[in-house]
Amino acid sequence: MSNLDSVPDLTPPNSKPDPEHQTPFSTNEIDEEDDDGDDENDVEDDEEDEDEDENGVSGGPNRPKPHSREARFRSEKLKMDSLLQRMKTGPVSVRIHDVIIKGNTKTKDHIIEAETEVLNNVGSMQELLKASQIVNLRLQALEIFDSVKITLDSGPPELPGTANVIIEVVETTRPLSGQIGAYTKAEARSSTVEGSLKYKNLFGYGDLWDGSLAYGYDHSAELSAGVFLPRFKGLVTPVTARAYLLSQDWLTFSSYKERSMGLSLGLFSNQHHEVTYNLAWRTLTDPSQMSSRSVRRQLGHNLLSSLKYTFKFDRRNSSMRPTRGYAFVSSTQLGGLVPDSRSLRFLRQEFDLRYAVPLGFYHAALNFGVSGGVVFPWGNGFSSKPSSLPERFFLGGNISPVCALGGPTTLWGFKTRGFGPTEPKRRVNNENANPSGVDFLGGDLAVTALADLSFDLPFRWFREKGIHAHVFACAGNVTKLTEFEYRNFSVQKLVESLRSSVGVGLVVPTSLFRMEINYCYILKKFNHDRAKTGAWLTFSSAT
Amino acid sequence: MEQAGERESEEFTLVARKPYFDLPTACPACLPLFIYLKLAHFPFRLSFNSIFPDSDQIPYVESGTYVAYNNENGGVIERLKQDGIVDLDSEFHSVPDWVAMKAMISSWLADAMMYELWVGSDGKSACKIYYSDLSWPIGKVLFLKQVYSVKQRLGITKGNAEQREDEIYKRAKIAYGALSTRLGDQNFLFDDRPSSLDATFLGHVLVTLHALPETSVLRSKLLGHNNIIRYAEKLKMELIESSSSSSGPQIHSVPSSSTPKRGPSNWSSKPKSKPKREKTEEEKKFKRRAKYFLAAQLLAVLLFLSVMGGSDADDMELDDEDEGLVYG
Repeated sequence: MSNLDSVPDLTPPNSKPDPEHQTPFSTNEIDEEDDDGDDENDVEDDEEDEDEDENGVSGGPNRPKPHSREARFRSEKLKMDSLLQRMKTGPVSVRIHDVIIKGNTKTKDHIIEAETEVLNNVGSMQELLKASQIVNLRLQALEIFDSVKITLDSGPPELPGTANVIIEVVETTRPLSGQIGAYTKAEARSSTVEGSLKYKNLFGYGDLWDGSLAYGYDHSAELSAGVFLPRFKGLVTPVTARAYLLSQDWLTFSSYKERSMGLSLGLFSNQHHEVTYNLAWRTLTDPSQMSSRSVRRQLGHNLLSSLKYTFKFDRRNSSMRPTRGYAFVSSTQLGGLVPDSRSLRFLRQEFDLRYAVPLGFYHAALNFGVSGGVVFPWGNGFSSKPSSLPERFFLGGNISPVCALGGPTTLWGFKTRGFGPTEPKRRVNNENANPSGVDFLGGDLAVTALADLSFDLPFRWFREKGIHAHVFACAGNVTKLTEFEYRNFSVQKLVESLRSSVGVGLVVPTSLFRMEINYCYILKKFNHDRAKTGAWLTFSSAT
Repeated sequence: MEQAGERESEEFTLVARKPYFDLPTACPACLPLFIYLKLAHFPFRLSFNSIFPDSDQIPYVESGTYVAYNNENGGVIERLKQDGIVDLDSEFHSVPDWVAMKAMISSWLADAMMYELWVGSDGKSACKIYYSDLSWPIGKVLFLKQVYSVKQRLGITKGNAEQREDEIYKRAKIAYGALSTRLGDQNFLFDDRPSSLDATFLGHVLVTLHALPETSVLRSKLLGHNNIIRYAEKLKMELIESSSSSSGPQIHSVPSSSTPKRGPSNWSSKPKSKPKREKTEEEKKFKRRAKYFLAAQLLAVLLFLSVMGGSDADDMELDDEDEGLVYG
């Protein structure tokens, strides 16, 4: 929060102040005033506590020091009230003369200066306070400083109506940090536990290096290392680069194992848009030698070179428990961006639309969602070629559909890769006529819809912890379109073979993830679907 | 979509590596199986997997939910015998000569083929057979991995490389001699009836003749036995070329690049010992001469322009001025 040593259009600090008109005040009191009024202000107060030392710095040498604490408090409060009165009546004009950066030994100046651009257009005191707050938050968001202190001082005496902004940063003394957490990765469709090591500001460009090891509930393991650059050669948005080695085991579901080694570049990212490029060498193998025909045909090596564009518009009040607002996410992925026709060529489009309606009683809300996705190969003879197995849509998993925003992911009550087109696995014993199981092949077209009514429980203890109940219903389907199957496709067939489930449950939000304890009743499922009516536990983290 | 049909009612499909060099499948592990099924007049469809060069599961035979992989039960041929699907060797198992020759082909000739494909030649043939449908970086890395693995398997180190090479070629020569003697003038190796021995040997011979480069030492050793060449060409014509129309439509057939047809009339038994070096020297000479020629041409043009171009330029300017002025 900003420190205000003096109001710029008053007499400078060194001159003898008029005790009636001067309004010097120390920063912590302003902050306390502001903080009282603004609950959503995320500012840390520990920085302001440091400023107590600066108490009275701007006061003139003749200012009488009050004897008691309360008297001092009352006098400071009076001064601030008068300033606030002036600020309430109209803009108190001021402009920035200079921005001084102190305290950075390693970090390059231009990194910090890039975050202070918003100060240049300030015209009044009110704007200055707001802008200072924004700059403070931005600098803290770089994660490379232990503390950020912004001080406003009056400009040079020959230029009235100006202010200097002094930014003092304390670079982090412990650049290496470790973290263990639980996440939900949309691609993995399941919860992951991830341990990561982060090294901050190795080269002084605000660069964040991290290495992480993640293990997923669905037997996936990923080893990756990445770098985050807030300012790379004048690009507006931060750039991230990540090299990864990923191994996913789908043997029990689809009889194949996937191993990827690649590089992922985050080219552009802001609040609504994100563009990433992915280059990977992917290998599908079947060590169990039990796969079905379609999976056997896809085993081997592939080069994946794809560009993904995501548009996200989230106006809900919360992603863990949305009670009001709407959200829309659309993501488009184009593979085959090398002139080599031998790389994987596909086009994948997903969208997700959510709407939350508050109902007024018991903090209840109705959540609606509809999502869909389609994947198709392109290039010569695309209508007869199958789509690439890992790019297809597989629905099912132990995450909650309410939290998984981004595309069709799962339905309540269905296990990982639990429904969709199947094919019998290899028959092992010649005498045994029973098939040994099926492979879930995923589909090229997937649709899901959900409706969820969440409400508080009438017990105060539950309300305080944020634990609430919900009643839900969902439906979805996955179907194949490639290899000329689109000729047999019809919306009627799709609707007729929709799987659906309803249920009721308890939602327990914790700081790491959102847990649901549900009872699901499967309304409609087909022969080989892996779904059961009964108790289910889901874990989701905020996307 | 479930296919719960009986095994017999489903067609059998052989999944092999891609065709190249005028062969239905150019991989030395896949071609013997193809020939075996053809020798047995067993109906099957041919399908290709060209993105998994380092898999030991390929080639495999499948029908509905039944699959016979090459890395199980001693190979696809053995598995098909065990399952009673195809068996050409029922009377040969007890013949010691047959068993010995089988062992010789599976060890000495297989080693020689592996060596020649990956280490002995420049690897171009292997790249064409195995990596032509993979993106370049992946193909390159897999090739290097495979070369390393072959050297490990054959026990080749920097110190004993020449020695091992001599040993491998010597054994191949002995094997060829023995097989040539065994074959004589017959149509097949044993009892004038086809067996898996013929399939394995024929596969090796066809790959050696068609896929390996002309500078290959192994190929030159094979060319010394005319009866083997004759035997191979005859069976190739019978099994592969004449029945190519009846084998049915090929699924996933990859468009094979046009390779020059190398028939028996094009072969010579004398190996071109160092044709590469001569070629490059010739090429260098030709390039040098071409450069001189071009340089001379350019020089002539420049000379012409500078010497004659002065007056020409004046004429040109005068001509331009002529438009405005009239000379008397």
